[in-house]
Amino acid sequence: MKIAMIGWEYPPFKAGGLATHCYGLTRSLSDKNIDIDFYMPKTKQKVVSDKKNLIIKEIGETDIFPYDRPEDKELAGHFFESVYRYNDLILEKVKGNYDLIHCHDWLTMKAGIKLKDKLGIPLILSVHSTEYDRSGWLNPNQWFIDIEKEGMEKADKIIAVSHFTKRVIVEKYGINPNKISVIHNAVYPLGTDKKKNIVLFLGRLTIQKGPEFFLMAARKVLDYNQDTQFVVAGTGEMLPTLIDKAVDLGISNKVIFTGLLTEEEVKHIYRISSVYIMPSVSEPFGITALEAISAGTPTIVSKTAGVAEAFNNCLKVDFWDIDEMANKIISLMKYGPLNKTITTEGMQEINLFTWERVAEKTISVYRGVT
Amino acid sequence: MTSICIYFEVHQPFRLNRFSVFNIGVNENNKLNYFNRELNQEIFEKVARKCYLPTNQLLLDLINKHNGKFRISFSITGTFVEYCEQHAPSVIESFKELFKTGCVDLIEETYFHSLSSLYDDLDEFEEQVKMHQNMINNVFNYRPKIFRNTEAIYDNRIAKKVEEMGYKGIITEGTEKILHWRSPNYVYKAKNTNLKVLLRNYNLSDDVGFRFSAQNWNGFPLTADKYANWMAKTDGNLINLFMDYETFGEHQWTETGIFDFLDHLPGEILKHNHLDFVTVSEAIDKYEVMGEIDVPWAISWADEDRDVSTWLGNDMQIACFNELKNIGEKLKNTGNQDLINIWRKLQTSDHLYYVSTKGFKDGAVHAYFSHYDNPYDGFINYMNILQDLKQKII
Repeated sequence: MKIAMIGWEYPPFKAGGLATHCYGLTRSLSDKNIDIDFYMPKTKQKVVSDKKNLIIKEIGETDIFPYDRPEDKELAGHFFESVYRYNDLILEKVKGNYDLIHCHDWLTMKAGIKLKDKLGIPLILSVHSTEYDRSGWLNPNQWFIDIEKEGMEKADKIIAVSHFTKRVIVEKYGINPNKISVIHNAVYPLGTDKKKNIVLFLGRLTIQKGPEFFLMAARKVLDYNQDTQFVVAGTGEMLPTLIDKAVDLGISNKVIFTGLLTEEEVKHIYRISSVYIMPSVSEPFGITALEAISAGTPTIVSKTAGVAEAFNNCLKVDFWDIDEMANKIISLMKYGPLNKTITTEGMQEINLFTWERVAEKTISVYRGVT
Repeated sequence: MTSICIYFEVHQPFRLNRFSVFNIGVNENNKLNYFNRELNQEIFEKVARKCYLPTNQLLLDLINKHNGKFRISFSITGTFVEYCEQHAPSVIESFKELFKTGCVDLIEETYFHSLSSLYDDLDEFEEQVKMHQNMINNVFNYRPKIFRNTEAIYDNRIAKKVEEMGYKGIITEGTEKILHWRSPNYVYKAKNTNLKVLLRNYNLSDDVGFRFSAQNWNGFPLTADKYANWMAKTDGNLINLFMDYETFGEHQWTETGIFDFLDHLPGEILKHNHLDFVTVSEAIDKYEVMGEIDVPWAISWADEDRDVSTWLGNDMQIACFNELKNIGEKLKNTGNQDLINIWRKLQTSDHLYYVSTKGFKDGAVHAYFSHYDNPYDGFINYMNILQDLKQKII
């Protein structure tokens, strides 16, 4: 079987979980003798594959990222044109004998739909997030919703990263649940290191990820115990607001904002942290939680996050429940037996979340349309 | 002749309030607020409506209908009776009605359904058994002869102590771990004692307790005549069917047909001339000892493991158990009866059951009974409360 997969980011270039997913998925698919041409934009660093049947095809440059918004200043005025231009480029460049096309999220959806008609082959669509998630359910942008809806309608099969996301696709986009398969994400285990007294937030600093709840919980924890260090890793539109907020809360000396980290730095900070928190307002899956757990870091996630429905050995909170978040952070630091049990059980459970399993399930979706 | 010995465990724990680290050591002068009165009342009233009241009525009708031939036994915990007194006196009245028929026996245990039998010395255990003895005496004017420890936890040490306290028999699990090739369907004797042991036939008991509504089970659907036939074909003196009372109407809903099953069961069993019913005391009197059991390590009837790992299977559970024990030693020296009573309510084994992280099979059963999202929440809440209690006695 040969597929054309259309992506946006791929390690070493990554802005979010999409790159991690595409990397794990394509490599495991290729191990299972699926031939893949992976189409993606040209980036500064050359992206290469060491697998014979997995070929990375860079198809020209673009200045759009999957997490961009039309209102972002750098793209002022030409956001929509950039999207259309890149989709046209894909349509022109994707050539070959394929059994199907596999697209990820909104950015290349228009091209995916046109390719399906042009090449006369089935279209598989993976949904890693929807406009509702990215907007934190506040003022979702109709332009994205329309693109997503059209793609979901035209796709032969949809892969959702969680039952939570499947419900959004059914309820908000009106899609037939029978054509949606849920495949939870996976992780390459990171392994652990000597722990420091660090409580970690890691992710894009956007409203979707709930970083301000992290700061408010930090304030509560510090009232109880001054010896804890809080780290906000990552960057995003909310960075200046969050720095102000830390000052307002009087905890700026206890919170480190790292900015964007390299892949090695990310691994390091996961490994030395004592608690990882993912307080997302809306989180289709939350692959970072699996990464943290695989680094031996006890993890607290939003109750509604996709990972919360799939993974047992983590703590779950409502993202707005600052008191409970602080209660759980303190308990993890204070009670050794809790910390030890959740870490040990978590690192065992993580072994079930392999990319091989994701590839197997993805192949069975492919078989359903070819 | 083969006798059928049916016994039900009747218990409710005092579930805990949400208690965060920020609550520890606060409200020193106010009354302690560990137990979730609203949740407990709500659950108790629901289970009373679905299980206790209708099942008691049905059993009373069956006893009257069969002229003394249908005989059963109950163990009723102290915490359960406190619930009845607070929320539903009619429930305890209906148990008294059943007891008055003369066809019902009562079983002793610890008042709080606790793990005190696993403490280093057995003083606290003995006190809790005596509290239960007093309670049964006050409510039913009766002195039980048979003992069943919390969830049938049993070892040689416990058996020895129970014999010393004057009981004639004890109940535990008929697991292969202690029986090997032998059948649970006989009366045994505890090692180095004259205490008789009744062993639960877990296959036939779990057919009703766990599998009754399992559609993928090859015994499904289980009817009273089919079940009676299985027993008629079973070898041995005695078939001990021990289960949670909440099986009727609560674990197995009315819609599964569990009440119809129970309604027809005595009649179907008595159709077989070689089958009859006995209470636990009658079983001990009627049958001779066929062998001895030697149990150096504690067993129970819980989960697949049939040991105490249900309550002491991970570091969190062991930490809570030890903390609870240590608090008790200090607390008893203070002589503060209110705090001692609270400490004892915290000993109810359910609080540790909620903290179990066992694999998915038993885990699903644990989740069904727990009001926490997961065992970690159970631990945090319980441990926070223990920390608060500890601060009260320093």
